[in-house]
Amino acid sequence: MAYDDLRGFLAALEAEGQLLRITDEVLPEPDLAAAANAAGRIGEGAPALWFDNVKGFTDARIAMNVHGSWTNHALALGLPANTPVKDQVETFAARWDAFPVAPERRADAPWRENTQQGDDVDLFSVLPLFRLNDGDGGFYLDKAAVVSRDPEDPDDFGKQNVGTYRLQVIGNNRLALQPVPVHDVALHLRKAEERGEDLPIAVTLGNDPVLTLVAGMPMAYDASEYEMAGALRQAPAPIATAPLTGFDVPWGSEVVIEGVIESRTRQIEGPFGEFTGHYSGGRRMPVIRVDRISYRDAPVFESLYLGKPWTEVDYLVGPNTCVPLLKQLRAEYPEVRAVNAMYTHGLLVIISTAKRYGGFAKAVGMRAMTTPHGLGYVSQVIVVDEDIDPFDLPQVMWAMSAKVNPRDDVVILPNLSVVELAPAAQPAGLTSKMIIDATTPVGADARGNFSTPVKDLPEAEEWAARLRQLIAAQG
Amino acid sequence: MTHCPRCAHDTVGRLATSPVPGVWDVLQCHRCRYTWRTTEPARRTRRDAYPDAFKLTADDLAAAVEVPAVPPLRTTP
Ligand SMILES: [Zn+2]
Repeated sequence: MAYDDLRGFLAALEAEGQLLRITDEVLPEPDLAAAANAAGRIGEGAPALWFDNVKGFTDARIAMNVHGSWTNHALALGLPANTPVKDQVETFAARWDAFPVAPERRADAPWRENTQQGDDVDLFSVLPLFRLNDGDGGFYLDKAAVVSRDPEDPDDFGKQNVGTYRLQVIGNNRLALQPVPVHDVALHLRKAEERGEDLPIAVTLGNDPVLTLVAGMPMAYDASEYEMAGALRQAPAPIATAPLTGFDVPWGSEVVIEGVIESRTRQIEGPFGEFTGHYSGGRRMPVIRVDRISYRDAPVFESLYLGKPWTEVDYLVGPNTCVPLLKQLRAEYPEVRAVNAMYTHGLLVIISTAKRYGGFAKAVGMRAMTTPHGLGYVSQVIVVDEDIDPFDLPQVMWAMSAKVNPRDDVVILPNLSVVELAPAAQPAGLTSKMIIDATTPVGADARGNFSTPVKDLPEAEEWAARLRQLIAAQG
Repeated sequence: MTHCPRCAHDTVGRLATSPVPGVWDVLQCHRCRYTWRTTEPARRTRRDAYPDAFKLTADDLAAAVEVPAVPPLRTTP
């Protein structure tokens, strides 16, 4: 079941009992963010939240926590609501193999219903904007898909990027954008600024749930997010042509904002409570001049609370970060069974693998750090045996406690690269990295006494599936 | 006169006003761009209640790093 727009997915969530409508009047601050923050604290089945009675607004419709639970993540992929996390990641990885699936261009995008342009542009009149965390510098668009093209190769569909970047509203027609230097939009901007040119950009809000997943996924520079969305949806992604930039944007978006990143300009932006659970400080960032807004009748404003993990963003970027690492590791090391890169966008990764020979697990850990995503993130790797589920933390802790001899199994590598947002980096962007080898030694590595492990009963796996079905049937 | 809760600057503009008249305004500091709604809690709207950890001085603003840095202009076509 593929959803062509956010509204279709919200209706499906409601039918599954996974959309909570808050009907009492709430304050824009602190209530909207506090409710979404709380959703991340009530367990793994938290619903999406819907607000349409917000003090001072006459016409606000706000959706939050749309991807904010394993239940909702499963439903976004069209899977049964109680699908285990490991199976959600495996399904994600299996559908990836269908990439690329060509998108389907449609002419009748519903966001053509309303337009503001030029001097009439006013973000506040279209969007019910609000603040998330106390120390944030202002109001943010934090769940958009930002579309840009390579200025040196604008006709290459694959090099057109669709990514999620934080955007602070700094004026009625102005946004500040954070392009992390390793990300594609920063490469596009660098090329434009080297030529002294503005970079055209489209910001699409309120997208179908798979497009949002893909926009937050680390993909190769020339791989099309729309072609990946098609693979994951198991149906072509519907796209349309944005009227001002001519860019390919989602057909089903609620709002399409177009303009340019002004060349060679920086303005103060932030701080913002980030996915690391820490604020990133005020820095001078690129700015967008908004020239046109297109929007559906009665647009839904989708936003996402993030702060101290776990929050919606962790569900959103969890599985989609695991899968590229899993694919890239398996390409050279087919022994790799599963990769859990769900902790703080993969700053910590847990890998389960079979071993070829002594020392192999440490090689797998080092490879994880040199994948494209690993260069900017993976700073701690825990490697466990093939019979450990890396998504089952009690199993991982058992492996750590029983199989690690710290002197020989902890490897620390100094001065490697990491995103500047990583709070522990010193200086920003540089960190030491660690591998913990929690696998059972194999020859020629003869350390320890591991000859008689206890194994799960052969019938236990079948019983686990049976119990999940019984619980689901209970409703 | 309204001062910026974050940097104490005395020039503050209005970005938006509530669609229901008279409920709130959205204000913005002209120096540090801090943006707030007048109905937010005092810890976000009043200089005396604003947490020290988030306060900015003119020096902080001048020292803020560029991310990403503006690259050199390409001299050859
Ligand atoms: Zn200020």
